[in-house]
Amino acid sequence: MTGLNEVGFLGLSGGLVAVGLFGVLTRRNFVLVLIAIEVAMNAAVLNFVYFAAFAPTPSAGLAGQSAAVVLVGFAATEVAVGLAIVLALNRAKGTINVAEATELKL
Amino acid sequence: MSLEEVAFLLLAVVAVLTAVAALLVRELVHTIMWIAVFFVDLALIYFLLDAPFLGVLQLGVYAGAVTVLLLFGVMVTRKRIFSRGAATGIGPVPIALAVLTFVFLVAAVGELPQAAVAPQSYTPSALSATLFGSYGPWVLLLGIIMLVGVSGSIYLVREGRE
Repeated sequence: MTGLNEVGFLGLSGGLVAVGLFGVLTRRNFVLVLIAIEVAMNAAVLNFVYFAAFAPTPSAGLAGQSAAVVLVGFAATEVAVGLAIVLALNRAKGTINVAEATELKL
Repeated sequence: MSLEEVAFLLLAVVAVLTAVAALLVRELVHTIMWIAVFFVDLALIYFLLDAPFLGVLQLGVYAGAVTVLLLFGVMVTRKRIFSRGAATGIGPVPIALAVLTFVFLVAAVGELPQAAVAPQSYTPSALSATLFGSYGPWVLLLGIIMLVGVSGSIYLVREGRE
């Protein structure tokens, strides 16, 4: 397991954040925007897991993995709420195009 | 180049390619299939990093639950599920912003302390002792936020709300 260096992992997580940002900025479909946010959040979880594996002390590593577990739970909740908004938007407007969701009232 | 490095490079390339494919393919259902591959790929990276509990969690929560939820959302909101609509062109500004973000994040690598130690693996029992011990309040907070999220979701989608 030696040889996994931080340049590769930072490159991967930075690339995933960039892909997620790109998706949020360019896609108009609400489900695609949600997926792009998920990609970016997974990059954050990956960073927690990577730096936990190379933490200087065991307690620091376990703290990092605990943060990753809690973050996965938050991300799952976010998807549930996001899809509820998708369904409500679809019912109110008949479309899930984010460009047409111009008012907060659903 | 060790076997782990080769495996990580392969998994990293697949992760970025599937994420890009998920956001660019024309069919929404194909998008969700690509994102499922992406989640499984990340789970494999967690196993490579000696974090088995996180790997199983990633498989169960993301590849299992989130994928099915997204599929459900697509099936409910589209009359013809094999159609995208609302696809837009790709302008130069989003690509430039994404590249800038990538460069900014990777530039931080010089600031990191050199971690020469070998990766450590933690058993799920040690992880649970920490998670429910000193980080118990965070789990409690997560539970409360999940409860509020589920209640809010039910309120948003219930019948007869106008």
